[in-house]
Amino acid sequence: MMCIMKIKKFIWIFILLILWQITALSGKVSPLIFPSLGMILKAMVHAIIQGELLSQTLFSIAIIIEGLFIGAILAFVLAIVSRMSESLNSLVETLITLAHPLPGIALLPIIILWLGTGRASIVFIIVHSVLWPLLLNLITGFRATPKVYSDVGRNIGLNRLVLLKEIHIPASLPYLISGFKIAWARAWRALISAEMVFGAVGGKGGLGWYIFKQRVFMDTAGMFAALVVIMLIGILVEEVLFERVEVLTIRRWGMTEK
Amino acid sequence: MKRTIKWIAVLLVLLLGINTGCSKQAPDLKQITIAEQYGLAYAPLQIMKELRLLEKSDANLLVNWRQMGNTAAIREAMLAEEVDVGFMAIPPFLIGWDKGMEWKIAGGLSSSPVGLVSNRSEVSTIKDFTESDRIALPQPGSVQHILLSMACEKEFGDSHKLDNLLITMAHPEGMNALMAETDVTAHFTAPPYLTGELKSKENRLILSGEEVMGGEFTFIVGVATKSFHDENAEGYKAFIKALEESISFMETNKIETVEILSNAYAISKEEVEEYLDTQGVEYAAKVQGLDKFADFMKRNDYISKTPASKAEIMWDDVYYED
Repeated sequence: MMCIMKIKKFIWIFILLILWQITALSGKVSPLIFPSLGMILKAMVHAIIQGELLSQTLFSIAIIIEGLFIGAILAFVLAIVSRMSESLNSLVETLITLAHPLPGIALLPIIILWLGTGRASIVFIIVHSVLWPLLLNLITGFRATPKVYSDVGRNIGLNRLVLLKEIHIPASLPYLISGFKIAWARAWRALISAEMVFGAVGGKGGLGWYIFKQRVFMDTAGMFAALVVIMLIGILVEEVLFERVEVLTIRRWGMTEK
Repeated sequence: MKRTIKWIAVLLVLLLGINTGCSKQAPDLKQITIAEQYGLAYAPLQIMKELRLLEKSDANLLVNWRQMGNTAAIREAMLAEEVDVGFMAIPPFLIGWDKGMEWKIAGGLSSSPVGLVSNRSEVSTIKDFTESDRIALPQPGSVQHILLSMACEKEFGDSHKLDNLLITMAHPEGMNALMAETDVTAHFTAPPYLTGELKSKENRLILSGEEVMGGEFTFIVGVATKSFHDENAEGYKAFIKALEESISFMETNKIETVEILSNAYAISKEEVEEYLDTQGVEYAAKVQGLDKFADFMKRNDYISKTPASKAEIMWDDVYYED
């Protein structure tokens, strides 16, 4: 089943590429608006050889990992706090209600005022976009743990921490993983938009700044090359990393269908 | 599988539809859309707008004005044929020309002092910048960025030396950031922001455009697309006439000019007068300094070629001075 799904995905991508190429070669649109696949590939190879695209990508990924890490720790801490008492739980829920709907980009002007335009600000925005969806999923996951599991745990005398580690976390893992998927996608978006606004943060600027530079120097093919890199990384993480984690955990434990 | 094929067919039909729908119709002969940016460097356009000089010059012409936040947006709008005439500095024009945009300079608009201001007392030349400094300017490839790069080439032999300190901000935001003493420690800008910043004691001018260029240069030029110039010759002529009239009106009717500008920019008459009297402020249809920009930009790979002749980058009758 999985295999056929994947092949279908590739077929669709292939078809979309062909449609793209037909449009580009139709001669009805300027290559400055709609570059052909060859031009994009050339721009990509050039940018990779020249080194900037890769170093900017690594720079961006490093920031994302940092933000994801901090965000995940905060989410865990808050999720645990929320289970300690009713009033703490309502505090955490209030925080989520207030903060979750705020897009990171809307916070930008305030973050610039508070933290300036350095690396810390970008990490802050990523943490913001990672924390809330992750926390929400974690709490939902904890709640979705069948009561009989925790009853059994308590019966055999597990304390709160062990209960959390052995029962709540594994039982909420499907939620955690989908939370991470959302968090990852949100982090990317937040990162790219912040980098486009901030400029050469940390002496480099990352992929967002790279795209912005291609725009102001009118290198449309180069702009698409960077977008392709973002998509490739997305596919890699989604199809390889998350897939692996799911196979090793929730599928092996028989917690999900596929 | 059958369903998949059906979907492909639908996509193909859609795509063909888009392709035919996209084909550009000949622009309505009776329209002109002009895009400008913010600031007193665009003053003749406010005169043209207020006195309806373009409408008077060609009664059949429907005139649309658009104000845009940055040059890249104007360039993209002109590429999409939404704008016929756009006003911008010489370097962004050259970048578009180099990438194959079909446009040429229709005339100069203004010269203006531009300069790099720093609020750190330790910084008196660009050599004094450190890794922790941040230089705000409109965007890479803007005239401010190219002037900074030129200064870097002279000073360090490397035009990209300070690129890692850049942050893009429109002029008003850049000024706020500099005055609020955030992490932005320098700002490359033009009046009224430049003069405003220099009024504060902490700030000092560490580099001026004229110093970098070794002389006067045109700050803003008017650029017209080939399709507008070729397909609406009447409209193009009317536009050039109105532009010249606006500039000469500013020279001959100073009092009215100050009044119009004061209303258009919502600043006091005194401020307008002060600006118009500023050393280096000039409104003229001649174009100056293009070769210097082109040579530098070619030498440092911002563009891949320099114009071989004036005809490649200017429509007929543009008065050009090297």
